[in-house]
Amino acid sequence: MRELDPASELIRPDYSDYIPAMERRRMSDVQKMSIACSLDCMQQAGIGQPDAIIVGTSMGCCVNIRSFLDRILTANGGPLSPTSFIVSTHNTVAGQIALLLKNHGYNMTHTQNSLSFEQALMDAMLGIKEGFQHVLVGGADEEEQSLYNMRAKLNNEQLHLVSGASFFILSGDHGGSEGVNLLDVGSYGLIDSITDCTEHFLLSGGQSAKDIGLVLYAVNDKKGMAELNSIFRREQLFDYQIVAGTSFTNSAFAMHYGIDMLLDGSNPCLREHKKILICNNVIPENLGLILLAA
Amino acid sequence: MEDLKYELKRQIIEELKLEDIKPEDIQDDAPLIGDGLGLDSIDALELVVLLEKYHGVKIMDEEIGKKVLTSINTMADFIVEEKAKAT
Amino acid sequence: MKIFVTGMGIVTAIGLDAEENLNSLGSLTTGISRSNSSGLMLGEVKLSNEQLMKKFQLPAEDYSRTSLLGLLAATEAWANNKNDKIIRTGIISSTSVGGMDRTEKYYFDARKNGIVNSSLMTHCNGRTTERIAARLGISGYIGTVSTACSSGANAIMHGARLMEGNKLDRVIAGGSEPLADFDIKGFSSLGIYDNAICKPFDDNRMGLNLGEGAAFLVLENEYSISISNNKPICMLAGWGNATDAFHQTASSPDGKGAALAMTNAMVKSGITVDKIDYVNAHGTGTGNNDLSESMAFKSVFGNNLPAFSSTKGFTGHTLAAAGAIEAVYCVQAIQKQTVLPNLNFTTPMKETGMKPATGFQRTNIEFVLSNSFGFGGNCTSLIFQKA
Repeated sequence: MRELDPASELIRPDYSDYIPAMERRRMSDVQKMSIACSLDCMQQAGIGQPDAIIVGTSMGCCVNIRSFLDRILTANGGPLSPTSFIVSTHNTVAGQIALLLKNHGYNMTHTQNSLSFEQALMDAMLGIKEGFQHVLVGGADEEEQSLYNMRAKLNNEQLHLVSGASFFILSGDHGGSEGVNLLDVGSYGLIDSITDCTEHFLLSGGQSAKDIGLVLYAVNDKKGMAELNSIFRREQLFDYQIVAGTSFTNSAFAMHYGIDMLLDGSNPCLREHKKILICNNVIPENLGLILLAA
Repeated sequence: MEDLKYELKRQIIEELKLEDIKPEDIQDDAPLIGDGLGLDSIDALELVVLLEKYHGVKIMDEEIGKKVLTSINTMADFIVEEKAKAT
Repeated sequence: MKIFVTGMGIVTAIGLDAEENLNSLGSLTTGISRSNSSGLMLGEVKLSNEQLMKKFQLPAEDYSRTSLLGLLAATEAWANNKNDKIIRTGIISSTSVGGMDRTEKYYFDARKNGIVNSSLMTHCNGRTTERIAARLGISGYIGTVSTACSSGANAIMHGARLMEGNKLDRVIAGGSEPLADFDIKGFSSLGIYDNAICKPFDDNRMGLNLGEGAAFLVLENEYSISISNNKPICMLAGWGNATDAFHQTASSPDGKGAALAMTNAMVKSGITVDKIDYVNAHGTGTGNNDLSESMAFKSVFGNNLPAFSSTKGFTGHTLAAAGAIEAVYCVQAIQKQTVLPNLNFTTPMKETGMKPATGFQRTNIEFVLSNSFGFGGNCTSLIFQKA
């Protein structure tokens, strides 16, 4: 995979393949991307209706939020167009997927900034444990800088901020097909140490750093990077922001990338230990961990 | 009146973001909501805003709204009637 | 696993803590009044940001009203709990608009004058939860759910599921929502306000009133209680979530999502419909919700509808916080062994003839069902049980 060109834009599919025009006209990127990804992955898995639809999004439908704020300004006390307000709640993505599918199952949206996708994934795993057969789970965000200055927040003007969505079908039973196991997910907020959290996470699953083949990481500060280098060997570490850019839910992309690598199997790091740890430290005080195994 | 109807059709297409539809495609007497053009209840709210924003006429309640928003003809008639009352 | 409620905190238009809220409910005193700034009937919390800031000795500029209301309710709920590391503790909060009350102010300024302020950074939903976590000394699982008007109930449900899934032993869960121009103008554009105080379940209901507030419950399992020594107030017996999948904002005529949520909650609790002693309804006072919810009642309870009421005539519709605020009211209903009143009810809906409770009615209350339904067709029901 190539390094992301800072000038590059979101690659959009033809959304008309997935969403009828009358529904599509009100949707911003985060909704359209999510629906397209969801329908695509359900088709791949041969699933008609998931038992649950769970989305992690840090900023939700922020284009629609901004649009409604602009309308308040321009209406100046006059009549106000409601559409952008109606599709502005963070759960519009999960809700629209359910509406399109006429799905009456469990539906949830997690919005804990850079831990949104990990929390959605934990929710999905809980659901599988409780008896859901198939869960549609994903992470999505659209890039919008008026409402939230991510570069300032992360104190890093060099970041290449992106929009993106990645969706998965999580199943309790792989039905005999070749796949990848999601072993565990961790969400740690207001942490003191990446090392302590990572060791605790791996230990609770009966693992250690030695059992990990490859680490896909997003770390934007020196202290975090030093800690990661102290736990893992340099050749095991791969910065997924180089190929995917920065978004608070890009650990979903990393999971997709990790799954592809485990299925492919050719990466030398995965020869002995077919396990990938995704280490999401985009915001230094948060740590999201996802453990995948072939 | 014909100019007004054409204007309404153009405004509806623009405000409701109806792709692939041209003013010529909308019949004057065709139903707007549900059948015909296939607009929904959110669009109905937008049409109320459109009438006030571009034509200065207000729909005061749901019952009136249901009648006025039936077709291009009923919308145009309402605008003309309300403006006549105002003068 | 038994899940116990051991703490609660609440701030609404009818009170700044649990006791004040209960007293207002009992004395039929609404907190909804005409707002000076907007002219609308709103359920405003009777504390300014400055007063809240002073109470917590916080620097004014950095805190949204969402965080401030949340801090007030969360500190009441948390009370004397200590953050012992041997009790795995997490916080799950919820909000629809996050720090929008500050965001919109600075966005409008920025658009008009080109002044950009770092307060824009409080918009992110999860920030409010982090502020509360930091104040209470909680790290680790810090989460936020956002499902519009069912958010608060979903936060509580999610906390309970994390406990059942052996991830956490103790959770503080709830929600916080300020009155922001964004929502006030947003609901205005939908044309669903009542120009007087709302009349849930009344045939002449005209719409909703918006409100603001925050509420949290502390949930503990038996292991956590053995260490904390907190006294159980009641139990969270079950929960259910389902999707209406009818329309982005409107509820289906038959209340399918609502009925599914209620049924799922009862299945989870292991009880039959006749065990429910009181239902705290979503009951916003809109034509659509109250009819849809009534149809759901019919399909779930048949001819044996238990006592029910909506408390939104007291607080207004507090959006994401509603499910958490009403969870506290349900806990209080069990504590005091009474159903809660529905204000402004005179005429039953012609479609159903259903009559909500209009005052405190002391009776045996073992199981209470609480409903919250949001945009996106998100429907959640919680069931509380006398301990």
